[in-house]
Amino acid sequence: MTFKERFFLNFIKDSRWHYLTDGLIVTLEVTFFAVLLGILIGVIVAAVRSTHDKLIGNTKSKFSKFILKFFNSIANVYLTVIRGTPVTVQLMIAYYIIFVTSNNKILVAVLAFGINSGAYVAEIVRSGIMSVDEGQFEAGRSLGFNYVQTMFHIVLPQAFKNVLPALANEFIVLLKETSVSGYVALQDLTRGGDIIRGRTYDAFFPLLAVAGIYLIMVMAFTKLVSLLERRLRKSER
Amino acid sequence: MSVDFLIETKDLSKHYNKGTIKALDGVSAGIQKGEVVVVIGPSGSGKSTFLRSLNLLEMPTSGSIVFEGHEITDPKVNINIHRQKMGMVFQQFNLFPHMTVLKNMTLAPMKLLKMTKEEAEAKAMKLLERVGLADRASAYPSQLSGGQKQRVAIVRALCMNPDVMLFDEPTSALDPEMVGEVLDVMKSLAKEGMTMVVVTHEMGFAREVADRVIFMAEGKIEEEGTPEEIFTNPRNPRTQQFLQSIL
Repeated sequence: MTFKERFFLNFIKDSRWHYLTDGLIVTLEVTFFAVLLGILIGVIVAAVRSTHDKLIGNTKSKFSKFILKFFNSIANVYLTVIRGTPVTVQLMIAYYIIFVTSNNKILVAVLAFGINSGAYVAEIVRSGIMSVDEGQFEAGRSLGFNYVQTMFHIVLPQAFKNVLPALANEFIVLLKETSVSGYVALQDLTRGGDIIRGRTYDAFFPLLAVAGIYLIMVMAFTKLVSLLERRLRKSER
Repeated sequence: MSVDFLIETKDLSKHYNKGTIKALDGVSAGIQKGEVVVVIGPSGSGKSTFLRSLNLLEMPTSGSIVFEGHEITDPKVNINIHRQKMGMVFQQFNLFPHMTVLKNMTLAPMKLLKMTKEEAEAKAMKLLERVGLADRASAYPSQLSGGQKQRVAIVRALCMNPDVMLFDEPTSALDPEMVGEVLDVMKSLAKEGMTMVVVTHEMGFAREVADRVIFMAEGKIEEEGTPEEIFTNPRNPRTQQFLQSIL
């Protein structure tokens, strides 16, 4: 078969390119909502952990101490379990055990990947908060801002700038990790390419096409992030 | 409780490591309205801890602080309200690097005093003019010299209309040629009648500006008096020893 014939067989015949485009939409959907969920969980867990570390020494009331410690240990258990087990296993547990009654595979995947990503985002955000000089926090408090206002106006904007590269990296990893969605029979981009391979007995075209699409997405995202970084670096000139 | 004091501390202590380290060991002091009090002492004497506990950046282990009639060491008191009235200037300036000079100064008045942007900026510009930095309003902190940063830090605190200004070694991180410009701003503040508590190693400033000098060592007030008394006739041998070692 000529190159042209193989291309026709893999992508054009029976509209097989649909497996790739439909799969791409699923991959983007899962990644997008998992990223949002991951940020939400990550920021909350990071807030719990750093609030505990910052305030525990300065708190006198026994009740506040108990509350801080209680939520901090929940956060710690979450981080340990999620970071200590493979995401593929977590996805399968979510699909075959926890949400066994659900037919919505995309939702299950979003939850599994989002909860997984949240653990990594949490530690990235926490490292960002710790990277901001303690004096910044004190300056905010000395002006009369409360803890939350100081975090929001002064610490987090600086923390975000410091961790943007690490955060971007986490999202790139997440995008690529969704390629294990096939384990729960979700037809994402990778699975779509694999279905074509099964039909045509030709691995070369579909798999390279899949790889190429991931690569283009990651490159485009990286470009966006570097533009954002340059904008945020304005104040350092 | 005497009402003559703007800030009064009673038996203030700060212990670390279950009491084996005593950063503050029963400090009782009062600061009157309009008074300039300079706190001196060797490093590790607890003078910075004392200053930082006045607005509860350090939480004292025991003892009480009364500010404008409110016992702020009471856990039920909302300290944020009272901190608005206590401006603080740090050794390391602590300007917000992600904001322009003007934004640094207007953030707290707008968010906490609910000033409009116009009001806050007008006030900030007036203060910047006073310290000769009006042309730097749109600069970022990284574009300023150390002396300029500290002058901005002082006027940032002044934007909140504080009743007292706390200075924690404001000139210790500066190059020698920049110390003067910061001290000049502080002197003019003192002349205007601002209540000030200053931890510093600038003995010239203490002698010239202070109404009262407090000498601290090992977490205790060892001696206090007018600059005259402390610098020319120190009674306590520890004060004598300290002054000899630095002068």
